Amino acid sequence: MIQRLTARYYSLLILLSLLVLFVLFVLHVAVGSVAISPATVIAALFNQPVEPFQHIIIWDLRLPRALIALLVGAMFGLAGAILQVIMRNPLAEPEMTGATSGAVLFAVLWLALAPAQTAQPGPVLPFVALIGGLVGGALVYLLSWQGQHDPVLLVLTGVLISAVLRSAISIILLLRQEVIGTVLLWLIGSLNGLVWTQLDVLWPWALIALSLGLTCASLANVLQLGEENATSLGLNVPLTRLGLFFVAALLTASAVAIVGGITFLGLLAPHLARRAVGADARRLFPFSMLVGAGILLAADTLTQAISQPVSIPVGAALALLGVPFFLYLVWRRKP
Amino acid sequence: MNQHANDQPAHKTALAAQSLSVGYGERLVIPALSLEITMGAITALVGPNGSGKSTVLKTLARLIAPRAGVVYLDGKAISSLPTREVARQLAILPQGPTAPEELTVGELVEQGRYPHAGPLRMLREQDQAAIRQALAQANMLELRERRLDSLSGGERQRAWIALALAQSTPILLLDEPTTFLDVGHQLEVLTLIQQLNRRQGKTIVLVLHDLNQAARFAERIIALRDGRIVADGAPRDVLTADLLAEVFQVKAAIINHPVDGLPVCLPYESNA
Repeated sequence: MIQRLTARYYSLLILLSLLVLFVLFVLHVAVGSVAISPATVIAALFNQPVEPFQHIIIWDLRLPRALIALLVGAMFGLAGAILQVIMRNPLAEPEMTGATSGAVLFAVLWLALAPAQTAQPGPVLPFVALIGGLVGGALVYLLSWQGQHDPVLLVLTGVLISAVLRSAISIILLLRQEVIGTVLLWLIGSLNGLVWTQLDVLWPWALIALSLGLTCASLANVLQLGEENATSLGLNVPLTRLGLFFVAALLTASAVAIVGGITFLGLLAPHLARRAVGADARRLFPFSMLVGAGILLAADTLTQAISQPVSIPVGAALALLGVPFFLYLVWRRKP
Repeated sequence: MNQHANDQPAHKTALAAQSLSVGYGERLVIPALSLEITMGAITALVGPNGSGKSTVLKTLARLIAPRAGVVYLDGKAISSLPTREVARQLAILPQGPTAPEELTVGELVEQGRYPHAGPLRMLREQDQAAIRQALAQANMLELRERRLDSLSGGERQRAWIALALAQSTPILLLDEPTTFLDVGHQLEVLTLIQQLNRRQGKTIVLVLHDLNQAARFAERIIALRDGRIVADGAPRDVLTADLLAEVFQVKAAIINHPVDGLPVCLPYESNA
């Protein structure tokens, strides 16, 4: 009886979240330098006739940005949830894979060393960043290997490698200051100016990495009981950990490659999701995606609404709002 | 209580260790240890802190790879068997296990079906039945929907035992399953383990701190010191004043329990 109720609670929650997500999505498309009514947005999205200029604004400018926010938010959310399982640490976040700083470093290197590219980041940049992210992830994973993997060592290595890579980024930027203008928004994490070109690069990776992550949920459930229990249950712990780490690094690298280093989202989304649906990864993973997508859509809508005509990058706003909110969550936990 | 009649005339061996040598880093914990665990029996490993009891148990369960020597599960080298196949034969509950506190008892115990799961990892009818049975045996059915962070120490321990039971293995290894429990809950857990042995014929190996409980619930006690077996046999033969002096460095009187005549040791002075 109780069990059936919890299952119903969960389905209700998912339904409600999807509804909220749809509302946030429509609002995101509606808000901008030219305000469009939500009704018009819905009409345009369902290909009903609207004013031609509104159609262009919605379909060519705002829809891709909203879709990217949706995907990237889900990716950061899932990457964070996966890492918190691997590292058995509720404070783990995607940056600890080394994928964020790896992606940024490679992109900065690319812009600094290939002068022809400096004028326009172009479509090659995301791929360079993606490779950089995966290299960063591999570096963290290999350096934390000591015959076996200790989650604590993985966290420490992730933090250290990220710090080293970030200082490398700073040095390159100091030496090649003309690059700063191009990558500044991207260093902070921003959805500004993203169109279908970027979405086309993002969605295949998002699709692959998100589905890989969701399929691993039941393995993650066994892994989060700890190394000894998981082994006792017949799980190949090193292989599962490597697989999940790879998925998290892939999610982070491909998201960062498009929007830059958005922080706190990967920490906040799984945290909120865990409060709502508990720690069972089969619920936590999809819900972290929903929450991540919702937060990023809401944050980007908000920053766009209050920061016209100068648009604040959403990464800065998230860090600004995310830190006090997270502190509040931590404080509230104390008795 | 411990005169448990074994129906099988020829004692089959469930687990065997042959010249095991185990260490952590530079430190050699077990120099060379051989033992056989009889099928369908309750065996208790006792010994002072650092004697290697837990290490032996973990090595028997392939959680630690030995430097030398072989562990045989049902006659086959355990390191050569697929880990999931081992998990269908043998479950181990390590000491002080931790899981995310937001997990419910039901969600925890469900993981016990992992080694039996089909390709889609969906729980089938028999899995649900095994989970229900494990929860019922551990007296946790009513707490199924409760989160781990809302449980008392005793309930928590029973939840973990239920996880091991849901694994439905003929062999069960438990590392100090009674730590952090008051005496009432200790007896409850040990009685549950005894019932599993008697009713389902499970082979059980326990690491226990309390010698009197070992004498009460196990039919065989193996005493370890510095990674070596010092004594091995029926509780009455193992629990002697000489052995306690040798293994635990204590002077002790051994008396018979006034109610059921089982050996009880009463240490009174440290020799250390």
